[in-house]
Order: sequence, then C-alpha cells, then structure tokens
Amino acid sequence: MRALLLLVLALMPAVATAADDVDAALTDELDRARARVASQVQLTAYDLVDELVYGLTQEPIFGTPTPVVLAGVSVPVGLGTGMQALLENHLSNALIRHPDTHIQLVHCPSCTAVVVHSGPEGTVLTRGVDDPALLAKLGESTGQHALFIDVEAEGAWLVLRARVTRLTPERPIVWSHTLATSASTPALLRDPTELKSAEDARAEYLAMLHDRGHVAIPLRFSVRSYAGVEYYGGSGVGAPPFLFIQSGAELTPDPRQAWLSSFILGYAVIPQAYQGLMGQARFGRLLTGSQHSLTHPDLYGFIGGAAMTVWGPAAASFRNRKLTADELLTDEDGDDPRTTFSTIQFGLDLRLGNRVGLSSFLETIPSLRSSRNIGNYMWLFGLEWQTFGTEVTFWF
Amino acid sequence: MGVIVTALLPWLWPVYPAPGVFRSKEEARAYHCERALHDAPSHRTLTRVDTPPNRGEFRKSDLIVCTQPVVPPHLRDPADEVVLRTLQDRTQQLAAAAHALRPELQSHTWLVEAHDPNTAVVAKLRFATQNALMEHGLSVSDRTPVLGAGDIQVVTRMPPVAAHPAACARYAGTGSLQEDDVLLVIIRPDAQATELVGGVCEQGRWTWL
Repeated sequence: MRALLLLVLALMPAVATAADDVDAALTDELDRARARVASQVQLTAYDLVDELVYGLTQEPIFGTPTPVVLAGVSVPVGLGTGMQALLENHLSNALIRHPDTHIQLVHCPSCTAVVVHSGPEGTVLTRGVDDPALLAKLGESTGQHALFIDVEAEGAWLVLRARVTRLTPERPIVWSHTLATSASTPALLRDPTELKSAEDARAEYLAMLHDRGHVAIPLRFSVRSYAGVEYYGGSGVGAPPFLFIQSGAELTPDPRQAWLSSFILGYAVIPQAYQGLMGQARFGRLLTGSQHSLTHPDLYGFIGGAAMTVWGPAAASFRNRKLTADELLTDEDGDDPRTTFSTIQFGLDLRLGNRVGLSSFLETIPSLRSSRNIGNYMWLFGLEWQTFGTEVTFWF
Repeated sequence: MGVIVTALLPWLWPVYPAPGVFRSKEEARAYHCERALHDAPSHRTLTRVDTPPNRGEFRKSDLIVCTQPVVPPHLRDPADEVVLRTLQDRTQQLAAAAHALRPELQSHTWLVEAHDPNTAVVAKLRFATQNALMEHGLSVSDRTPVLGAGDIQVVTRMPPVAAHPAACARYAGTGSLQEDDVLLVIIRPDAQATELVGGVCEQGRWTWL
C-alpha cells in the first residue's frame, strides 16, 4: 500500500505536465482554427464594408464633407484583433477613396483613448467618444461625429452594423444601417477605387468569367484541300492545299455569345508555288445550348462567304478548262497565272473556353463549277462542294 | 406492410437536415437552416420565394435554406454562440416588443443598456438593439446612464429581479435618466442560459417585457 502511494506521488508531476501539454496543444489548435476562419471571413467582411461605402456614396448622410472619427470597429466574437485592424484599414481606404460619401475621417486620439475623469459625481473611467463633455475639456474639436462599425457572425450569415453618433452631450444616433450576407456568397470583384452596386459587380464578374467582351480578335490557321479531279471523272491537274493565316474581328451582340459574326482577312504563301489574299465573313449560331458554357466545349454552326485572289504557278488549277501544255509552258516563263473567285461555305466550329477552337467546313466555288482541274467532294443543296477546310483558331 | 413502411419513413429519412438513422446529430447541427417565408422574406434569405399554394391544395412545399455556420462549432462559448447566432432576430423582437408596449413613448429618446457575462457580447447586444430601435423610427441616443459608486454597491448586492427596478429608480433620482428618456435594458440573467429578457425604464418606473 505504501509502495503504491509512493508511486502515485512520484507520477503526479508527470501527469500534471501531460495535462498542461494537452491544454497547450488544444489552445494552439483553437487559435489556428480561429485564424483560418478569420481569413475565410475577411473577404466577405470586406464586401460588406464596400457595400456600406457604396451605399453612402449613393445616399450620403451629410450634405457637405463632414469630419468623422472612426470610433470603433469590432469583429466577430472569437476571431481576434488582427482581423479588426485589417477591416479598419479597408474601411478607411474605401472612405478616403470615395469623397462623395462626404465623410472626412479625422484623427482624434482622445476620442478612442480611455480617459479618467474625477468630479463631484465621482471618478469615471471611459472612452473619449463616450463623454463628449470631457472631449471638449480636452480641447478636441476635430470630430463632430463618430462612426461605429460592428461585424458579427450570426449562424450562416455575416452581419455588418454601422451607426453614426453626434458627439454632443446628448449623443444622438443620427444614422444607422444593417447589412447581412451569406458567407457562402462568392466575393464580388470590385475595383477598390470605384465601388459599384452588387448587380453591376456581378455582371462584370460574369463577363470576366466568360472571358470576353463584345469584340474578340482571333488568329486562325486554315488549310483548304481541293477535291481531285478523280472525284469528277476528269484528268486535269489538281490544286494543291492552300494554307492561310487569318485574323480580323469577331463580334457578338450579347455576352451569352449565342450569335457570332466574324470578318477576317488572310494571307497564304508557299514560295515557288502560290500566294493568296482572302477576305471572309461568317455568321455563327451556338448549337449546344442558349449561352456560352464556362465548363464545357461549345459547338457552333456557321455559314459564310469569302473572296480570294491567288497567283503563282499552283494557281493555274483554278481554271474551268483543262490545262494545256502551252499554258503550263507559258506559266513557267514567269507570267504567273492569277485567279480571283468567290466562295460560299458552311461548317462546324468546336470551341474550348474561348481560347482555342477547331473547325471544319465545306466550300463551293460557283465560278469553278465546270472546272476540269478541280473535282467536288459531294453534291448538297444542288451545289458542288469542291473544298474541304480545317482550321485552328486562337482568341486574344 | 405499407403502414409499417409509412410509419418508419419519417424516422429513417427525416426532412433534411434533421437527424435520423443515416444522419447524426453532429452532422445536423453543422447546418443552420432558415425557412424562407413568402409573406415576410428575410433580408438574409432569398428575395424571390414562390407564392404558396392555395389553401386545400394537396401538395405543399417549403423552401428551407440550409448553410454551414460561419464560425464552426466549439470555437466560441456555446451559450455565447446561441445568443450571437440569433442576435438579429432577438434584438429585433425585443425592440418591437418595447415599442409595442409603450407606443406613447414614440417621441422620447431611447437609450440601450445590455448585461451579459461576456463583455464582447454586451457590446454586440447593445449595437444590434440600437439599430433595431432606429429601424422603428425612434430617436436613439448612444448615451449610457450611470450610477454613483454607492448606488452600485447596493444594487449589485440585490437579486436581478429587484436590482433593475432599483437601478431604474436611482437613474431617475440622480437625473442620469431625464424625463423624456426611455431606457431599454437587455439582460441575460444566467451565464449558463441563452434566454434574453428585457425591461423598460421610464421616469423611474420599471416594466419587464
């Protein structure tokens, strides 16, 4: 029994130390959790402050610029004072950048300091803003009003309360406001120098997500392959594939990008073979849904037309009649053939996030319907479709 | 068989997020749920709530918005958490009750005092109640009535039921509370309780809400 008692007495300090370690670890873990929550809540609190300042720009409390003391900013219970300093800085910054709130922040050390005042009624320990008569005795006349801000986490909501008190002995509250938002609401992306309404900020946010405005500039590489004469049963010299690099403007009337139009210029060159210039116009319609998708590829159908002029030895194929030996010899003498023609096209365009697109199309050249050098891939809508094109497009 | 299944269904699959066989109480408590009302939409819930079905219609539906709390459980004192979670609603109810109790005091100046074991919660209660009174169109002052040291020594030794009426009388007696002032006091009587009670002090007369 005595030995057991001695053992217990010997182990007691070790047990106490272990308990202290557990408490310290628990405290550290809680502090880490509080810091994590504070960092998550901070942006939402900033949003509420922005919303408050925006409201003040729309409906100012004062008709003229008025000195106001930022008397207090309090944060959710349990989330520490670090967040308080951040919130105070953000509010000051927003108010300074928006003079149309008519709130001029002024420095008043005595207002926020704890002051002791002894008089006939006793000794009173108070903050300066809580005793305007005492402030007057201290000679503080810079601030006529005090702004108080409180942010609190109430269940799933973050609530901001604000009030403005006139610093007179009666201390009337001249203005108050309460704003609430859900912590699950994504932070609005606002320019800190120019606050705007939540609706406008949301529209900009969505436009940014959609990643483009009404005009975009594409850079396109295309290859046009012309049907060989075997498709037509002839025996002329077939046209080589034409490689174009194209750019221009792509327009959409609304951010949903359900309808598109594009106006493109292109240039093609293969030394010793051909050169070419082209202009092209297209109209496209989104086929997969009513609006552009942020997460899935979009498929567009399009129709359009183009005008091309090509020259060089390889351009000799763009003639209706079969090439003769004389023509081939003449071309080799340096008098390169030049041909200008127009086309009609339709196709499909698969786009990934407005960054890259893959498209293919069929094109008909009406002026070469009876060409003995170019065949056609198919008959459709009563037309010969002589050209099959593929394109890769990048947008900027 | 059908009757048994019908009887067991609410127990096996209760309405989300109520606890049941497949959802523990801890999981259920991790969500804060609020019913979105059509006739009184909260500024915190959706502004667009479908019109409720006509009376007598077989199918009835509710819109309940469930979200996770901003501050996870166990980071704050549980009693404080309960008070803070419903701070807006409670202070609005107290302000509405005080205003309805004495509608003739519309033109008076309202002061607010709060008592809670946690001083941080005191400030929150006072701020929220002041804003709630302002929303009723009342004149609210940020002033706080004070008692002398002797009065405080006496009042703090009395039980709460007697202390607040006594303090009210002394406020009027010392002139700390003027004739056209009304003091709304919010009290959490017990540190372990989450109930809030209120009282109105006017011209030395105390009235419990």
